[in-house]
Amino acid sequence: MKTEADYFALFDAYRAGTLPADERAGLELRLAADADLARRLQEFEELTGTLTAYGRRLALRRKLHAIHADMEAEQAVRLTPLAKVAEEDERHERFATGQAPRPLLRISRTEEKLRAFWNSHRATMMVAASVAVMAVFTTLLGLEWWRASQRPSLYGYTVLRREVERIKQTQRSMNRTLNQIESAPEKSNPGKFSGTGFALTADGYLVTSYHVIQGADSLLIEGRDRQRLRAEPVFTDVAHDLAILQIKDKAFKGFGRLPYSFKRGQSDLGEKVYTLGYPREDLVFNDGSLSARSGFEGDTGFYQISIPVNPGNSGGPLLDDKGNLIGVISGRQMDVQSAAFATKSSYLMRLVDSLGSAGAGQPYNLPRSNQLTGTSRPQQIRKLQDYVFVVKVYE
Amino acid sequence: MGKGQPAYTDEEFVAAIRRDDDRALAQLYRLHFPMISHYVLQNSGTDDEAKDVYQEGVMVFYEKVRDGSLELSCQIKTYLYAVCRRLWLKRLTEKTRFSGRLDDHEPYLETGAEADLEVAEERDRQLGTMSQALERIGEPCRSLLEGFYLLDKSMQQLTAEFGYTNADNAKNQKYKCLVRLKKLFFSQYQEHEP
Repeated sequence: MKTEADYFALFDAYRAGTLPADERAGLELRLAADADLARRLQEFEELTGTLTAYGRRLALRRKLHAIHADMEAEQAVRLTPLAKVAEEDERHERFATGQAPRPLLRISRTEEKLRAFWNSHRATMMVAASVAVMAVFTTLLGLEWWRASQRPSLYGYTVLRREVERIKQTQRSMNRTLNQIESAPEKSNPGKFSGTGFALTADGYLVTSYHVIQGADSLLIEGRDRQRLRAEPVFTDVAHDLAILQIKDKAFKGFGRLPYSFKRGQSDLGEKVYTLGYPREDLVFNDGSLSARSGFEGDTGFYQISIPVNPGNSGGPLLDDKGNLIGVISGRQMDVQSAAFATKSSYLMRLVDSLGSAGAGQPYNLPRSNQLTGTSRPQQIRKLQDYVFVVKVYE
Repeated sequence: MGKGQPAYTDEEFVAAIRRDDDRALAQLYRLHFPMISHYVLQNSGTDDEAKDVYQEGVMVFYEKVRDGSLELSCQIKTYLYAVCRRLWLKRLTEKTRFSGRLDDHEPYLETGAEADLEVAEERDRQLGTMSQALERIGEPCRSLLEGFYLLDKSMQQLTAEFGYTNADNAKNQKYKCLVRLKKLFFSQYQEHEP
């Protein structure tokens, strides 16, 4: 009985072709007849075949590793001299031209790592980023919604407070705004403002708003006849926004008799009032009603009137239906529909009286009679227009 | 690529590898490595993983060529790409970090790579079992068999190395070892048979 090892020896010789011809023929005969023997041969072949294949696989793997190592070494070698050459070139260049070196496009080890990290975790990071962004917005929206849900009971109050706040701001900015108001019509002529003024007495005194002449170097009065007269401020009242000017021009011969008179008392609510002024190059008429007996923030020195006034109207006369002068246009409130303010004539009168009694200069001969009473408004205006002037201010 | 080296066409590559031309293999290896490396790095792999996957792919290709069973219906490049793509996909699934689709640069082509890979996998399993069997067979059988079958040493060399009195003794020892290996190999290999 042969052992399996003997069979293997036989098979090995058979496959190698070293078996003598007669033995070989005998084996082939037995293989054809004996299925068991054939299976043994098959198993032997599979075993040795797998072994050789395994050997080849290992060899191939070694080969590939060697190739890879070669390749990497070559790349490393190729990279270094190139970098060196580039550096050397640059140094030459720098010495030759005296210019700063160009930055080299070299990737550091850290950056390489960072890049690899970015490449492998890009998707994750993007998801994280979008989640973060969404979280931020959700939080903001949620907070906003929460705050809004807290608010309703306070809503009216808040708005009211804001209103008040805004009015305060307007008050503060009013003088500023008014200064800017004058500049508007004369934009083509920088450094020059204009407002409106009107005659106080026949002998050359005029009234305008203080803020019109504020900071003025020289003043020019220009009437409807385009005649220009030089004027100087005589007195100013900052609190009531009033200024009294005197014409100091040799060519001036006097205004003639004034058609209107000044009202010393208070006017009534709802009285129809109008004004004339120079918001542009031509005289402009505007009318409305007296809407309140106090001005901005309850200032009793002013009336509130519902006349749409424009930049340049400041210092204009405010007259009632009978032709009494009851005020001087001063300003308006920006955020309220047609709320303009005018200094009360009573304050103007008090100022004139105090000046007269102080004896500073000639007495003021105020007009006493009113020629406008009972006439229609166009007639009043026709008489009035010669006594309303543009006050031009040069700084 | 390397300077002064002949540029091969695909047919020349196949012919040269069949002739066991190592230079052609090296050049083929270098030629397509950047593509696979780029692909793997793009799809959340590392340099080492790219190397592994590529070498495995090249091995599949190489063994097919040596078998003479390769039926190339496309460029070698495309074939390698398909094989490596498949391999990388498998690895990603194993790592379970894979979350969906791959970042493909070319549409997946019918390259026969799928079928080839299945064959290769079976072969891998077989060779793996063989490797395990060799691990377990013990000395001196292991060294003897490795020397003869893996390192292609002649019986004379082995006789001298292992101190046998003559080549016949060594041969007998070898056959005994083969019998043991056979038992180990087939018992394991058949266990895994589906």
